[in-house]
Amino acid sequence: MEARIQKMRNIGISAHIDSGKTTLSERILFYCQRIHAIHEVRGKDGVGATMDSMELERERGITIQSASTNVTWKDHVINVIDTPGHVDFTIEVERALRVLDGAILVLDSVGGVQSQTLTVNRQLGRYNVPFIAFVNKCDRTGANPVRVRDQIEEKLGHNAVLLQLPIGLEDKFVGVVDLISMKAQYYEGDFGEIIRETEIPAELAQQAEQYRETLLDAASMFSDELAEAYLEGEVQPQQVIDAVRAGTLSRQLVPVYMGSAYKNKGVQALLDGVVRYLPNPAELTYTALDLNNDEEPVDLTPESTAPTVALAFKLEEGQYGQLTYMRVYQGSIKKGMELYNSRARKKVKIGRLIRMHADTTTDINEAPAGDIVAIFGIDCASGDTFVDPSLNYSMTSMYVPNPVISLAVKAKDKSAEDNMGKALNRFTKEDPTFRSFVDPESNETIIQGMGELHLEVYIERMKREYRADVETGMPQVAYREAISARAEFDYTHKKQTGGSGQFARVAGFIEPLDEGDYEFVDSIKGGVIPNEYIPSCDKGFRTAMQKGTVIGFPIVGVRVAINDGATHPVDSSDMAFQAAALGAFRQTYAKTKPVILEPIMKVSVEGPTEYQGSIFGSLNQRRGIILASSEDGSFSTVEAEVPLSEMFGYATVLRSLSQGKAEFSMEFLKYGRVPQSVAEELIKKYQESKNKESK
Amino acid sequence: MVKEELVQRSPLRILEKSIQGGLGAGNLGIIASRKGVGKTACLVHIATDSLLQGKHVIHVSFSSRTDHIISWYEDIYREIAATRELEDAMEVHDSLVRNRVVMNFSQRGIEAEQLIQSLRAMIVHGGFAADVIMVDGYDFALGSPESLEALKSFAQEVGLSIWFSATLHREQPQVDENGVPVILAPYMDCVSVLITLEPAPEHVKLRLVKEHDRYVHEDLSLVLDSRTLLIADPAQLDSK
Ligand SMILES: Nc1nc2c(ncn2[C@@H]2O[C@H](COP(=O)(O)OP(=O)(O)OP(=O)(O)O)[C@@H](O)[C@H]2O)c(=O)[nH]1
Ligand SMILES: [Mg+2]
Repeated sequence: MEARIQKMRNIGISAHIDSGKTTLSERILFYCQRIHAIHEVRGKDGVGATMDSMELERERGITIQSASTNVTWKDHVINVIDTPGHVDFTIEVERALRVLDGAILVLDSVGGVQSQTLTVNRQLGRYNVPFIAFVNKCDRTGANPVRVRDQIEEKLGHNAVLLQLPIGLEDKFVGVVDLISMKAQYYEGDFGEIIRETEIPAELAQQAEQYRETLLDAASMFSDELAEAYLEGEVQPQQVIDAVRAGTLSRQLVPVYMGSAYKNKGVQALLDGVVRYLPNPAELTYTALDLNNDEEPVDLTPESTAPTVALAFKLEEGQYGQLTYMRVYQGSIKKGMELYNSRARKKVKIGRLIRMHADTTTDINEAPAGDIVAIFGIDCASGDTFVDPSLNYSMTSMYVPNPVISLAVKAKDKSAEDNMGKALNRFTKEDPTFRSFVDPESNETIIQGMGELHLEVYIERMKREYRADVETGMPQVAYREAISARAEFDYTHKKQTGGSGQFARVAGFIEPLDEGDYEFVDSIKGGVIPNEYIPSCDKGFRTAMQKGTVIGFPIVGVRVAINDGATHPVDSSDMAFQAAALGAFRQTYAKTKPVILEPIMKVSVEGPTEYQGSIFGSLNQRRGIILASSEDGSFSTVEAEVPLSEMFGYATVLRSLSQGKAEFSMEFLKYGRVPQSVAEELIKKYQESKNKESK
Repeated sequence: MVKEELVQRSPLRILEKSIQGGLGAGNLGIIASRKGVGKTACLVHIATDSLLQGKHVIHVSFSSRTDHIISWYEDIYREIAATRELEDAMEVHDSLVRNRVVMNFSQRGIEAEQLIQSLRAMIVHGGFAADVIMVDGYDFALGSPESLEALKSFAQEVGLSIWFSATLHREQPQVDENGVPVILAPYMDCVSVLITLEPAPEHVKLRLVKEHDRYVHEDLSLVLDSRTLLIADPAQLDSK
């Protein structure tokens, strides 16, 4: 293994909304001497945290885009990506975790495991990312890091161990007891930069012994050497570290750190933890698919001399042009070299190569295996694989959730319209969960995204970054149509207009499909429809699925089978069979008893118990099904399933009913059938809008 | 089998017959046993039976995770639907989910007052018209007869019935002259039905100790099937 790669870490910081990820990142930058003064998220100085570099992020005090930075801690080079907590920007977390080797899962010492913690935990699992936990905000009233550890075990199902104990809590929180060195650490000085190490205070000694035992018990599972030393009573710190590292790398152990980013406590120890327990890029095996060999998986070797394999995981329009973030998995990227984009099948030349520090950059000449860098001026889509021209590999794809809400946008004037086009082009390239298209019927531009906030942010960015002033329609959810009964069809498409005519007949049935959107079954016997026209039928049915006639939304959950048909020696054609299939579906659709489906969200509301009556009420009014509520003293969490269409504006409602003390998050759960009364309403609206257009 | 028939043929009808048609609105019932014998399974089966009759159920628990309880319900439902070949099982399931809510409390020794307040919030503000409440894991050693009294008046006021599970510890197997485990004796004035679960060689047996105004000592001729964890009629089990 190359020495350089051993001292490299690529880590992400992920958590529930507002847990203090950006605040923590700011401290990391500070202690690694990347910045020389600390600025707070929404701080009084008005500067804003370094990693929240976008104007909109600073104004709102939330992270929207993940930001990458490169720091050095005790001669280790760490690429840190701070990710957003809000679920509307979940793709940012998804793609960060896709390319990272390890993560810090931040938890609030009061809130513990919250709804988004569960989501992040799932994402970490999806990409097999080892992580350490940081219980932040130990200075808050009600802080209880020990209980948070319990929750990591109970709610996330991880074997979590405390590496530290708090010294004091809430406003008396001053430091931690390190259970490996068995020393007390106090964070002092104006910015916690002075660490004073002393003996463990007498009143904590017994508790420390007890928790150390728990730690040694857990760690011994991963090292025979430690287990033996433990029995003999001669445990060396390094043995514990090695054992915890082995447990963490195999994702069977989660070390738990604690502190207060805001009060500058415990961050340096956490950085030590990153270096100690999280993997270097060479310790994990990554695979790519060989497109020249049936997509056979190939293991990549993290050596800089091997042929290059890199993944473009994020695009961004920076101050100086388009930036493409890349993770190098094998070989290296050098300035001036040529790489091959295996999706676009195009070669590109690497112009400028840079290292990112939130909003500033440094030019570099080479990025070795394992590194994360940004490249200027290459055209590609997010998720593209770049390889040495001698290879044809593709990295496996990333999970991209489907957008669930949409909005019509209209430019205020001609120049705004041009700019809007540019902006949409850019945004859709940057963000695979953001889409835009022109509705052929209404001629309106529709944007789609993950939630209200997601779309709001893009509309605001259009205004600010592209001077595209737009008017917006009401947000609309992505309904679907589906069939609920089986029906047969037998349809003949026939046209005789002068010269050659069109003829095709298709027969078969349509039935509901439990899993998946669409399935086509060819049961034609004896060639009554010639083989060459079978794909035409499939295509015709697919066209029909794109837009249902009930409310004009795509149709899902359909199996179409054809079992009979007829052709004409002269008049049958690809077009004729497509038209026949389309016609057959449209004619039969009503007989399949179509229904309307709507996105149902999993909603989680947290807040003081005194508001739970109003919270229950607010969910009930929104056609919500309350699944469970959990009360933990004065704090409670309510979980419900609510149709997305009912959730518009809920943030405002919740704020006012709880005096701003309750918060909610939601994510897509499933599609569910719309109740009759709502369906009738939707159909009426659709008919009205169609009538208007045809007038 | 359709839903109605399934309800009609449920072994729980046997239980109902023995207790004058059921627990009844405004009344409290207890299922008591040692730890790990199957109280939660009984509660969830009784709750599911009510749900199948279109009733609304609140399940109160004192564990750490609500998803565990939800999986209890899912498992028991799946078992019932499968063994009885329930028709439209998916749709019936969806309607059950709408009528069921889990309320979890982290601390065991929760005051009855707080519990009632939260239940009221769910029923009144949440518009959840509960017919039955299952309280799984109420700590009778910590609680007081007054708390139960308060819960009973709440049940009467709202018109619902409440089933409790009670854990009997190893060191308190003694029963009083009525056959009531001593730890529950102080509560019996406001409890209408008491059933104990008794481990037997093959299946756990259900024994009726109190039904409304009478103390009885009746083998309900019902068991908790050790395989499915469903309350079952042993006659039917044998015939299979
Ligand atoms: N009391 C206390 N407050 C903190 C601490 N860390 C962060 N905060 C505050 O919590 C709020 C949110 O902090 P951020 O750092 O923006 O949180 P985040 O996790 O990056 O938020 P998103 O990116 O929007 O999900 C800010 O007001 C911080 O000042 C802490 O250790 N203690
Ligand atoms: Mg942030």
